[in-house]
Amino acid sequence: MKKKQTLRLNLVSLAMIATLLMAASLLLPWLNTLQMEGQKSYSAVQLLSASFLKLLPLVIAAAASAAVAILAVLRPRKGLLIVLAAALAASVLAGVYALLTAKETADATGLLAQPFMVRDLSLGIWVFLGLAIVALFLTLSAMREPTEYIILTVMASVWLLPIIWLVLTAFRQEPGAYTTYLLPKNYTADNFTRLFTETSQFNFPRWYMNTLVVAIFTCALTTIMVLMISYTFSRLRFPARKALMNIGLILGMFPGFMSMIAVYHILKAIGLAKSLISLVLVYSGGGAMGYFVAKGFFDTIPRSLDEAATIDGASRNTVFWKIILPSSQPIIVYTAITAFIAPWVDFIFVSVIMKDDYQNYTVALGLYRMLEREHIYEYFTRFCAGAVLVAIPITLLFIKIQKFYVEGVTGGAVKG
Amino acid sequence: MSGITVEQRGKSRNREGGLQEIARIWRQGDAATRTSFLVMGFGCLKRKQYIKGLLFLAAQVLFLLYMAGFAWPYLSKVNTLGTEAMRREWSEARQIFVRTPGDNSMLILLFSVMSLLLAIAFIMLWRANLRACYKAQVNEEKGLKQPGFMEDVKTLLDEKYHVSLLTLPSLMVVAFTVLPIIFMILIAFTNFDADHQPPGKLFGWVGLQNFTDVFWSDPLKAGTFGKILGWTMVWAVFATFTNYLFGMIVALMINKKGVRLKKMWRTIFVITIAVPQFVSLMLMSQILHDQGPLNMLLKKWGFISQNIPFLTNATYARITVIIVNIWVGIPYTMLITSGILMNIPADLYESASIDGASPARMFFSITLPYMLFVTTPYLITAFVGNINNFNVIFLLTKGGPLVTDYYQAGKTDLLVTWLYKLTVDKQNYSLASTIGIFVFLICASLSLVVYNLSGSSRKEEEFQ
Repeated sequence: MKKKQTLRLNLVSLAMIATLLMAASLLLPWLNTLQMEGQKSYSAVQLLSASFLKLLPLVIAAAASAAVAILAVLRPRKGLLIVLAAALAASVLAGVYALLTAKETADATGLLAQPFMVRDLSLGIWVFLGLAIVALFLTLSAMREPTEYIILTVMASVWLLPIIWLVLTAFRQEPGAYTTYLLPKNYTADNFTRLFTETSQFNFPRWYMNTLVVAIFTCALTTIMVLMISYTFSRLRFPARKALMNIGLILGMFPGFMSMIAVYHILKAIGLAKSLISLVLVYSGGGAMGYFVAKGFFDTIPRSLDEAATIDGASRNTVFWKIILPSSQPIIVYTAITAFIAPWVDFIFVSVIMKDDYQNYTVALGLYRMLEREHIYEYFTRFCAGAVLVAIPITLLFIKIQKFYVEGVTGGAVKG
Repeated sequence: MSGITVEQRGKSRNREGGLQEIARIWRQGDAATRTSFLVMGFGCLKRKQYIKGLLFLAAQVLFLLYMAGFAWPYLSKVNTLGTEAMRREWSEARQIFVRTPGDNSMLILLFSVMSLLLAIAFIMLWRANLRACYKAQVNEEKGLKQPGFMEDVKTLLDEKYHVSLLTLPSLMVVAFTVLPIIFMILIAFTNFDADHQPPGKLFGWVGLQNFTDVFWSDPLKAGTFGKILGWTMVWAVFATFTNYLFGMIVALMINKKGVRLKKMWRTIFVITIAVPQFVSLMLMSQILHDQGPLNMLLKKWGFISQNIPFLTNATYARITVIIVNIWVGIPYTMLITSGILMNIPADLYESASIDGASPARMFFSITLPYMLFVTTPYLITAFVGNINNFNVIFLLTKGGPLVTDYYQAGKTDLLVTWLYKLTVDKQNYSLASTIGIFVFLICASLSLVVYNLSGSSRKEEEFQ
């Protein structure tokens, strides 16, 4: 008895009504065609029978939802409502799939007047989807579960769909950038193998190695420099300290693109233009300016620790190596990973420094070039494959450091 | 001289400026110390600190050689930035084009700035030399043992540890940040553009010409600048506040009591920031392309018959970039606000819900004011970030659609993307630098506000 009271019975009946309406809405496309049959060259019966198999999952999910909904009204139990929610979720999935394949479904019927049919079909499914979501919303409310799940799921799919599309396209067999369908017709791993074997124009393996080498050296150099700078500014007191920190702050506010050309000419003057070393230097020089996250971290290490050591006769060098560094592992990891990521995602500086020297490109610039007008048709699927190969390691690394990332963005101005 | 006076002198030194210190060394120094004003390291050499003295002397000799041998040809022309351009002339005798090398304004300016920075470094070294020689003199007067070279080196690991730690980073920053920035600031006062490309054609100083051009005197440039500045501000306001509001709502939904799988939801959103922007945004630009999947789907469902020009029509493109920026930005705001949202005192909400406040009411009366109060510095930082938001604009529309009433810019161009185009595509460096200086002024003044608001400068010592 008590369990029943936790359900909202009036909402259960509302949910049933919505579910029944949803199931009924499946008939909309055919109703529509019946009315206007005179103008169109297909009949409802024809359409129904021809596309019935394709739409079977949708029909089954809708029928199941309706049945469970009626049962739930007759015998309100939490278990039944959970089943109802699952059935409704399945209906939504089936609906989305039907929407994506609406054109194929219409094609498969072999009937004429497809544009009308597709529009009728998809309009019906949109109504179906809307009602399904309303029913799901009511069901969750009846169960006293957060309805946020629905919004979050919808949003999560909006956020993930482009990425899923990227992965699917990476495995697409048909070439070309723009297709008239969303899901690939045939899947293949060719895009990946050709990326590594056909290197005459776009030397992807070489770029990947370039980026890896640059990333490793940048990572080492930046980490060392950032640790040195942040320890100095956090712990050592000397006359020019404040002035230097302010200069650093001001320099950071100039738009980086402004000085790109000058950097190029400086590198040219010292004979390093178009070389990987110059990339390491530029990225580390930029990375060193982002020292304040590490400084903020050092500031939180109790000063009493190094004071005690100083009294015992430790030099500042010893304090740095023996006390500060061992207790700053997380910030070292953060600094190293951010520095490592930089060369993988930058395509601006590298394009200014490398100009047309294809052999010394990094992956980001190489992939960027693949989407230029003259290459996009042939290389789009390979771009997606390459992007997947770059995105996977970067994504994993980023997820690892997301905690510190917050402080990095806010510059420690906001303490969570 | 007694110990006490030395002590006092040491104390008073903290308060005196650099010039006063040099004057005092001159007054109190003996002949050897005074000679060090001209011959670096002389005082040290005289007091048997040979290695140190020789290093100072070597530095001076090297610097003078550099200035006379390498830098002078450039420095002497910095007032005109060169007069003789490189010439190609037909030589009847040799039947070929002969190149007569001339001046190169760019190199003159670049090496002059470099020499200027070197000169500053040299002056600092010179002052260090004075101090070292004077210290040696004081040590001798007091009858103390002069520290050997190795002992001096040892102080680099302790009292002067900051010198050892900062040398390498400073060199890098000076070479790849300070030098370029000074160079480009100076470029804003020249006519370095596509028509003045050294060595073929030299550029020269034009004073404030670029600034007056961009602000009022050149109708095309000034018009473009005004319109782009306007759009940059509109963009920054929309981009900042839409992201802030929606990101906070998402964070609230995920953090709501009773919502399960919090970590999974968060990770899903984080994935989209973790994917490099050049991948996710180029993907978006493909999806929104005239013939892209979105138009294709809309057409397929029969909602539209013509492709929607998401990125090629000015109004659509402006709306599209703001919406895509929401897609890009919500996860960031969600990450950042999550922690702070959980810090809002729960009893505020409890008493509000007892009074019968609706969730929307609670959001606008409790959450938003609290968040605005705590995150104002972040909001301004985000605003500055959006003024400089290169990736979203460049990867989606490349600043387009291009229009003729804009000077080499398009309808969605921000100041930074315009700057980028002017430098990389059009080689109009002087105009680009002018815009860069202006962007710097906006960002710097906003950041100054943040700095005062956050007060992190004052709180710095409290942690320790």
